Amino acid sequence: MAILGGRPAARAGRPPTTAYRLSWRILDALEAVAARWPARAEGAVKWLLLGPALAVVGLLVFGLVVMADASLRVMDFRTYQLGEDYSTANYVRLFGWGAFHATLWRSLLATLLVTLFCLLLAFPYAYALTRTASARLRRVLLVGLFLPFFVGQVVRAYGWLVILGQQGLVNQALGLVGLGPYRLLFSYPAVLFGLVQYMLPFAVLMLAPALAAIPEEIERAAASCGASRGRTLLRVVVPMARPGLIAAALVVATLTLTDFAMPAILGGGTNDFLANLVHDQFFRTSNAGLGSAIALVLTLLGTTVAGLLLAAAGVGALGVRGAR
Amino acid sequence: MSEPSFSTSRRRLLGGATALGAGLAMPAILRAQEPAKPAELIVRAWGGVWVDSLKKGVSDPFTAKTGIAIRHDLTEDNEIKPRIWAAVAQGRVPPIHVNWDTTANATSSALRGVCEDLSDLPNLATVLPLAKPIGLTGVPIVNLYSYVYVLAYRPEAFPGGPPTSWNVLLEPRFKGRIALYNDGIGFHPVAQVLGGGKIADIPGNMEPCWAFIRKLKEQKPLLGEDPDFTNWFQKGEIDVACTISSNAREAKAKGVNVAWTVPKEGAKVDTDGMWIPKGLPANELYWAKRYIDFALSTEAQQVWLDGLGLPGVAPGLKPPADLVGDPSYPTSEKDYERLILIPPKIQAEHTAEWFARFKEIMQS
Amino acid sequence: MAGGVALALLLLLAAPSLVVAGASLTAGSIVQFPPEGLSLRWYGRVLEAREVRDALLRSLEVATVCTALAVPSGTLAAIALARWRFRAALAIQLYLLLPFTVPLIGSGIGLMLLFGELGLLGRVWPVGIACCVINLPFMIWAVAASVNALDPELERAAASCGAGPVQTFLLVTLPAVAPGILAGALVMFVLALNEFLVSLLLVDARTVTLPVQIYTQIRGVITPDLAAVSTVYVLVAAAAVLLLDRLVGLEIFLRSR
Repeated sequence: MAILGGRPAARAGRPPTTAYRLSWRILDALEAVAARWPARAEGAVKWLLLGPALAVVGLLVFGLVVMADASLRVMDFRTYQLGEDYSTANYVRLFGWGAFHATLWRSLLATLLVTLFCLLLAFPYAYALTRTASARLRRVLLVGLFLPFFVGQVVRAYGWLVILGQQGLVNQALGLVGLGPYRLLFSYPAVLFGLVQYMLPFAVLMLAPALAAIPEEIERAAASCGASRGRTLLRVVVPMARPGLIAAALVVATLTLTDFAMPAILGGGTNDFLANLVHDQFFRTSNAGLGSAIALVLTLLGTTVAGLLLAAAGVGALGVRGAR
Repeated sequence: MSEPSFSTSRRRLLGGATALGAGLAMPAILRAQEPAKPAELIVRAWGGVWVDSLKKGVSDPFTAKTGIAIRHDLTEDNEIKPRIWAAVAQGRVPPIHVNWDTTANATSSALRGVCEDLSDLPNLATVLPLAKPIGLTGVPIVNLYSYVYVLAYRPEAFPGGPPTSWNVLLEPRFKGRIALYNDGIGFHPVAQVLGGGKIADIPGNMEPCWAFIRKLKEQKPLLGEDPDFTNWFQKGEIDVACTISSNAREAKAKGVNVAWTVPKEGAKVDTDGMWIPKGLPANELYWAKRYIDFALSTEAQQVWLDGLGLPGVAPGLKPPADLVGDPSYPTSEKDYERLILIPPKIQAEHTAEWFARFKEIMQS
Repeated sequence: MAGGVALALLLLLAAPSLVVAGASLTAGSIVQFPPEGLSLRWYGRVLEAREVRDALLRSLEVATVCTALAVPSGTLAAIALARWRFRAALAIQLYLLLPFTVPLIGSGIGLMLLFGELGLLGRVWPVGIACCVINLPFMIWAVAASVNALDPELERAAASCGAGPVQTFLLVTLPAVAPGILAGALVMFVLALNEFLVSLLLVDARTVTLPVQIYTQIRGVITPDLAAVSTVYVLVAAAAVLLLDRLVGLEIFLRSR
């Protein structure tokens, strides 16, 4: 009984020499309940475990249903009420709207670029984090990763406004050598930069456990077979880290696609993403119909991107088993 | 349909009803029947100098008079709107008692029918007709002051003296250094004139307006909201902007060298007001009305609006020393002649469409 | 070399926070870096403000509720997904990814309407539930990483020693995935502490949380006292991170076994 520990139970026939622990009684009771579970319903257990999470996300589904309903109705601007009749007018209007198309491509391109950059930068960070011998460096890197989480998106964006502004640090430094001042903010690259630095901690957090799970011996084995450092990384480590890379890509892609704060703060008002359009419709023009339509399109896009990434990852990514 | 609504409204801005006698004090007998006082009232306000001056001029004196504490909610006006609408639609108590809002924004709520009627406020009898919005049934919103969307500029960029025309926005040397509101607000009538059109054509034919804005897009303007303008002037990011005079005045108070003017083509004037969402318990509704009534009094407006440098609707107000004769502080018929007011109902009905066109041009 | 890149990135990540902190020390009245003179007066104003303390307490309550809900639902879901085969695995995963694919504005409006219908607005704990909803995938992934690396031999060994399924689960599986659970709980806690967009729609002036308070004031003009509030926020959180590192070790994030 080494696994369960504790003192041995009473032997048959003799009065117990030790008390039967309360924790054991509870466990026995639970086992008895579990034993009642019909063998045929074995498969239902997995659904039972999944249930709470499904219910939690179900709270969002309610909102989606309400929005789907709203998206099929048109706003009357004389009474500011959504019309009663159903039609696809909002969607038709959306797909004929130039600003929507411009914003759509802008958001998709950003998703691609930011994901790529984040993966490229997160890899060395996570690699250093998991492979370094120095505990001190590891702690510094970990703390440095967590602090941005605590500071939050908005405050960090304002920090960059101060650093990159006309009178900010960068322009001050350039001014010392007689250059500038340059307009570094309020452009598409500025938004991309802001997104990369915001998403980087997420990417590292997703990637690091995967890298940590790859034993160092494998790299040494590859080296002893004659593979160069680069080859080892590319041919051995990266493929083995695939689940982590996919997870990182998933997080960064979906969060970038739906981001609203960075384009708003660093974009200067001319680099809106789809989420900003949704924001405008719900808050500025009070058109819940059009806003819901854009939100649903965005959700569909995000789900498609996620679906593609998961399909590319194949079975086994994110800990979801196929056949076992 | 001959006369455009604009000249009517301009006359109404000034017309009769100057001081109709001293404030109407509440007769003692009615005071005895006042409903129970709530512990606090929640008033939505914009942050920074806006809430500070409201506190000083209206909220703190109100608390001193009635003993009811005022809590200020700094949620943006457009962010609280869907929450109020949802509360009314679901039959719940709204999140705030009093909404200090732009008249344009408030009109959409009024059209939807979520505002309490305020026609029984005593002080409404003594204030400028401007206080009652045009074209709406009853008094769902009480307008409290007006403001002008001026041309704010850095004097260092204009050594030859203040600019005389809005066309300076198109000068190549200001590329990337001009700023507008990110929904185009405050600029449509001006753009219409600059594009070669007429004010009377709004909203029927706005093509001249869009033509001018397309030209403006080449100048790579920065688009933002009130606090952005102050920050941008402070940080030297812009030289010219179309913004409310109080933002420029605030930057100036912070030591930034900025001035403003109303160019020859004119400028848009608009109002802000307060309204009460439906669904409040009867006693809270009563005291919320008393709050707005107090905000209409000369005593409150003098202190409150001095902090903002904006002309109010109460009788007998004196402009702050630095704004006497300033075009952004209209006090006489002559001052108002150069200003353009679009009736809030027209704005409310067309804002979505104008917003979409503006975005279309600016985001492409 | 990876270490060098990592340190450079670390500096990049830390830069804005450092600048905001530095700007809060200004003796002047605008936010700029380097600050105009040094002074702690803005901190004095901040620490006096009762609203800040109240808002912080509410944020802590929100974060606690969020984590309390996330741990059981996320853990059980991760174990279910890793241990059993589902025919609709892809569909389930995409469903569970909805918190990321639905834009926050949409989630916020939807939750506001739902909670409104249920009469739950005006209290602090529903905000915690909302934070859990929008960040749940993080919890599931954190635990999944641990479960994935869990050797099924361990559980079979326990069974062969006579342990029933409940005992195995409670005494073998759970302790083995504890690192993942802790890691996930920490992420959920932090994200809930910082959440402002959805909270903006769910709180009112009496139940405002700290990020909403900071954000609504930052949207006024950025003044040094806001920089000071943000910095205090960061310092408190940093202390929490370091404390957690002391107690548990942040390295649990790296360990999958």
